[in-house]
Formats: sequence, C-alpha cells, structure tokens
Amino acid sequence: MSTVNLGALLYALRNVLHRKMRSGLTIVSVFIGVTAIFTLLSFGIGIQSYVEQIAEEAGADKLFIQAKGIGAPGTDATFFVSNEDIDFIEDINGVSEVAGMYLKAAEIEFKDKKRINFIVGIDVDNLDFIEEAMLVEILKGRSLKKGDTDKAVLGYNYQIENKIFARALDVGDKIIINDAPVEIVGFYDEIGNPSDDANIYVTNDMMEQLYPDIKNRFGHAIMRADKGVDANELADRIQEKLRKFKNQEEGKEDFFVQTFSDVLATFGSIILVINGVLVLIALVSVAVASVNIMNTMYTAVLERTKEIGVMKAIGAQNKEILFIFVFESGLLGLIGGAVGVVFGMINASIGGAIAASAGFASLQPAFPVVLIVGCLLFAFLLGVVAGLLPARQASQLKPVEALRYE
Amino acid sequence: MNKDSILFALNSLRARKLRSWLTMLGIFIGIAAVVALIGLGEGLRTTVVSQFGFLGSDILSVQASGIDFAGPPGQAVSNPLTTELGDKIERVRGVEAAIDRYIETGALEFNDQQHINVITSVPEGEQRKIFQEMLNLKAKTGRLLEDHDDRRILLGHDYSDDDVFAKPVEEGNRIVVNDREFEVVGILEKKGSFIYDHSAFINEDVLLDMFDSNVDIIAVKVKDATDIDDVTLEIEQLLRKERDVKEGEEDFRVDSPKGLLESLNSTLFTVQLFVSIIAAISLLVGGIGITNTMYTAVLERTREIGIMKSVGAKKSTIFTLFFVEAGLLGMVGGLIGILLGLIMAYGLAGVGRAVLGSELIQADVSIFLIIGSLAFSFFLGTVAGVLPAFQASRLQPVDALRERK
Repeated sequence: MSTVNLGALLYALRNVLHRKMRSGLTIVSVFIGVTAIFTLLSFGIGIQSYVEQIAEEAGADKLFIQAKGIGAPGTDATFFVSNEDIDFIEDINGVSEVAGMYLKAAEIEFKDKKRINFIVGIDVDNLDFIEEAMLVEILKGRSLKKGDTDKAVLGYNYQIENKIFARALDVGDKIIINDAPVEIVGFYDEIGNPSDDANIYVTNDMMEQLYPDIKNRFGHAIMRADKGVDANELADRIQEKLRKFKNQEEGKEDFFVQTFSDVLATFGSIILVINGVLVLIALVSVAVASVNIMNTMYTAVLERTKEIGVMKAIGAQNKEILFIFVFESGLLGLIGGAVGVVFGMINASIGGAIAASAGFASLQPAFPVVLIVGCLLFAFLLGVVAGLLPARQASQLKPVEALRYE
Repeated sequence: MNKDSILFALNSLRARKLRSWLTMLGIFIGIAAVVALIGLGEGLRTTVVSQFGFLGSDILSVQASGIDFAGPPGQAVSNPLTTELGDKIERVRGVEAAIDRYIETGALEFNDQQHINVITSVPEGEQRKIFQEMLNLKAKTGRLLEDHDDRRILLGHDYSDDDVFAKPVEEGNRIVVNDREFEVVGILEKKGSFIYDHSAFINEDVLLDMFDSNVDIIAVKVKDATDIDDVTLEIEQLLRKERDVKEGEEDFRVDSPKGLLESLNSTLFTVQLFVSIIAAISLLVGGIGITNTMYTAVLERTREIGIMKSVGAKKSTIFTLFFVEAGLLGMVGGLIGILLGLIMAYGLAGVGRAVLGSELIQADVSIFLIIGSLAFSFFLGTVAGVLPAFQASRLQPVDALRERK
C-alpha cells in the first residue's frame, strides 16, 4: 500500500505542477485568506500573551479599589477613596500594603509649549510596591523620594525627540506643571502605549501642593495581599468590610474592589472577542478559496477522465482514485497555506513595526509553533474537504465510459 | 451520433454548469459578506450619530482641552472654564446667549437601588428658556424645572421605564441624589440618545451647592446660524486672549455640532472601513476564481476559437466574448450575493435587537450600496477576465484548430 501511496503522491505533485496556471491561481486564492487569518491571529495571540505577561509580572496578589463614577479614575471628583478608607483597609487581615493614588489632567509646559497629560501621585512610602504594580522601572536618573516636592519622574515618551515636545527632555531639565517649576529627576522605561508613556509622576505631597482641593480624595488605591492569601477572597472581604465601615448598603457602595487578574481577564476577553469577530470575517475569504479548490478539482477530474479510465482499466480501485484526487486537493491547500503563513509573518511584522513606531510597543504579533502548524494543517484539511466531492466523482467513473471520453 | 456521445456531451455541459455555479458561489459569498457588514455598519453609524444629531445648527460648544476619552466633558481638564469667560463670550458680536453648563456624576437612589449617572445643570432666569430650546427639552409627564425648584429634579425618559431602577419612576416620586432628597417634577420625552435619556436635570444653583464644580461646557447660541463660522473665529480669538495662549497652542476647543458629528462619523467610518477591507479580501479571492474559470474556458474552447477566427472573427470580437462572459459571471454572482446580504443584514440586526435588547442595532442597506455592489461585481468579473480574454483573442487560428484536447 505504501508504494502505491508514494506513487499517488508523486502523481498528484506532477499534476499540480503540470497545470501551472490553474494550480497557481488556486494556491493564490488560498494563500490570501490564510495570510489574513494568520496576521489577525498572530496579533490576537501577541496581545493575549502580553496581557498574561503583565498578569504574571504585576502578580496575582494585587488588588484595586476604585471610586465609582464615570470616566478615568480620579478625574470624577464626586466619589473618592479617602485616607480613612486606606487606613481602615490597611488593618484588614490579609492586606500587606495599600497605596492611595492621585490622578489628574495637568498642563505641562516646556519652552512655551503646553501639553495636557495625566499626572500621577505616588505614595513614596510604598514606592517599590507601586512601581511593581504599575510595571514601571527607572530608565534614567532616579525614582522619587520623600521630600521631592518640586521634582518629577517622566514617562518614556518625554525623552524622545518630537514625541511630546520637539526637544528630547533629560534629567535636570526644568518643566512647568500648572505654573509651578519642576525639575526632572528621572524617566521610566517604556510601558508600550502612548497614553501611559506620556504620564508625569510626582509624590503625593507634591500633588496635594499642586491641587489643594484633591487632598485626601484618591481616585483609586492599589493593594497587595499577604503571601498565601487568595486575592479574590480578599477582594470580597474588603468590599464587605469597607461597606460596613462607610455605612453603605449592599449594592449602594460608592467604590468597588477588583483584583488585577480580574481586570486583565476582562481586558483579555474583550480582545479575544474582537479578534474572534475579525477572524470570522476573514474566514469568509477562506470559504471562497475552498470553492475555488473544488472548482479546480472538478475541472481536473473532467480533463483527466480518460486517464482515470486507463488507471481503472489496469486495475486501480475506487479508493485509490479517490485518494489521488483528495491528496492533490489537499496539496493545493497546503502549498497555499505555507505561502500564506510566510506572507502572514511578513505582514504581521510590518504591522508590529508600524504599531511600535506609533507608540504601541505592546501591540506586537506572536508566532507560536501552534499557530504556524495549525494554519498549515487547516489549509491542508480545507483542500481535502473541498476535494472530497470531485474525488468521489472521479472514483466512481465507469472505466469503459471514461476511456471513451473525448 | 450515438446515445453515449450525447450522454457525454451532456455530462461535460453539466460539469461546465457546475463550474460556472461554483465560480459565482465564490463571488456571492464575498458580496453577501460585504453587503451585510457594510449594511450593519451603516445602520449602527446612523443610529450612533443620531444620538447627537438633535443639537441645532446654531449652537456652539466651548470646552477646555483635556484628555480625550477620559469621561464626560470638563472632567479631565487642567485649566477649566470660568463664568467670567461665559459673560465675555455673550458679548461677542452675533452671540445671542452663552450658557454655563455644569455636568457632574451623582449617585441616584430609588426603589432601594443606586445608579451612578450624569447630573446636568439648568440655568436660572432668562437663560432657562433658551437652554430648554437648545436641548429641545419637553416634558412627557409633569413639567420642566422652574426657578426656585430647589428640591425638584427633572429626569430623562429612560427613568420612566423599569430599566434604570427596575421600577418606573413617576412624577411626584422621591429620589435621593448624593444624600439629598428630590421630588421628581417631570419626565422628559424620549430623545433617542442614551446619554440624554439617562440624564437627570437640576437647577444650577442647587448643583453648585451640592458639587464643587467648574464650568464644563459653555453652550453658545448664535443669532444667525449662517454666521456660525465667523462667530466661532471670534470666540476663538477672544479665548486665546483671555487664556493667554498662542494660535496652534490652544487649551480649549470651540465645536459646532456639525464638527463633532464629523469627527465621530470619521472615527466610526475608519472602523467600518477596516472591517470591510477584511471582508473584501473574499472578493479578491472570488475574482481569482473567475480568472481561473475563464482560463479553463479558453483552454477548452481553443478549437472553437480557432474556427471562429478562421471564419473571420476579429481579435476584438473574441476578446469581448470572453470579457463579457467573465463580467456576467461576476454580476450574476453579485446579484445573488446582494439578495443574500440583504437577508443577512436585516436578519442579523433583528436577532441582535432581540438578543441584546438594544435599539442601536440597525441595518441600513442603501440603494447606493446595492447598485455599487452590483457594479463592482461586474467590474470584478471583467477585470478577472481581462487576461484570459486577451489570451483567447491572441490565439493563432491554425494552432488553435490543430489543438487536440
């Protein structure tokens, strides 16, 4: 059987090569669809693994408490997390650290040019914890320390020319934040999206100095659970205890507690859904390609009717003929898939480079082996399925009639 | 002519018919996908845009610049607007009124439930009437707010359904906003805008008493809508002077509803375009299918072409023959695709409305889209047929006649 199969394989390959134009066009139609799907999936997987990486680095032990309201945390002044709330949370069993975070839109001025970006207040007593939770690391200069009331650490994009300001800023440069002169003491490394990389970081003391009316009104706070404490269980406990502490009824809390993993999982599943929808749309083109394969195979069967007759006359069985054509069809799909994977990689890499230059360094494609093998297998199976009907027709031809066919 | 050869001829015809059908299948799958997606996208865009479309053409909105997408207007700004600025804008030539608007979020409590929603101020005195006209506020039940309605609140239409508080709010009910009790003075007519239908309105002095608020928007009504561009320029000039900023460095925005709609429209359009391009890939694939079928047809009919040429058919005649055949393949495929796409678009929109309960999901397949798709599918077919038709037209009669299949 194996020698027959090898013969069949060679026969199929020869046929694909023989009808160059037709095979070529059919392969092109498969590869276009596979390219689109491969590109979309590689970005989907890339973003997913980025989210997972953040989840891993930021740790499963982190939690958020955020005031309710509409819009970005801290910009809505109606609801807030107070110092009393933070002190209360700190004493809850299982909480290792709590840090209140201020967030405001600030006007940043450098050489008469003004920009509006977020300014983040950092509790320097919990600096290491906050940097770990925000996934930032000092790139240049130093972090903030106690008593820094006229100093700031800037996001990555400030030290790049023509990104935020025309000139690249450096440690020691002076900027003006809401009319107050501020010295730059350091820069954080790239986070990978233009909004976060344009943040300004100052101490909470300085925030209160710049914006006296937000004192003691944090937009959100981040917490770390003690070792061995389940973050989800802790979140529920904090939610309930703080609600009682604030004398609020269940369902009427003006805050909510979430674990980092929950937030990331929500984000991840949104990405997954969007990616899924796009892939579904791209699958339409693959469906059309499979129709093309079927068409090509029907034509091939028609053209080779006499040949099939000869093969049958010298003893080829139905299933052997079936195999020959199914394999030929699968080969068309496989070659299309292989070209598609290559083009998909090129396509996605270009897309990733464009995203990175636009400031979305976190938006990068990934090419896991599973994806590559999966796409190849998918394209092969697509060809096989599309070839089934034509191959069945070929296998059921009557030798006598087929031989007589002109 | 025996029975068998007739059978064989029929067989090959059937095979060719099958091939034509499969080729068209490729086109109509693609066209159906494109028509359905564009139709759904258009419908969604129209309804989203109509959420904002009720604002008049004689209204401008002035806002301090901030970080976009960070929440309701006026929230993430660094240098807020002031009431003095509003007074100065009112004195600009061509301005009928400049109304300071305060937009806050509050916790509304009713029926033992709490919801965070937008609370909007309504100005006192003369400006009240202008403001009510501006937003086209009309009470469905009860009445609108009046001066000295210190403990009264006006609610958007959605509060009269049971979807906000599980129980309809009625005129005269008591509702608590940030621990202060209000009496519902009226419910507004439906605007069809999620934002406004979910809003609550209280008098400006009450809002300022409850919240430590900055002016979020200055709504400007111009006397003559045709002057709106000039008035915009004058206000921009005034604000630059007042806020001491240079041209190009503005920390504020003056928008006309038209401008806002345009920017919203273009964002949605970009998304739609991206999705359509992915869907259109299938059309490209379908086009390749046509090319393939036509090459095969030329190959099969080489002898036929030879005969036609030898009895005097010109190159252009042969070319047109195949060119039109390819175009027809495209167009018939397109026709079926459009029908299928229409069914899909309206069907999916109906299913979406039923499942999600959102009136936002609408399909809108315009006559332009239908004609455009039909023309495009014909065009696609002809483009796909150019090379095969060219090849057919260039065949040498002698060679073609000698060809044995």
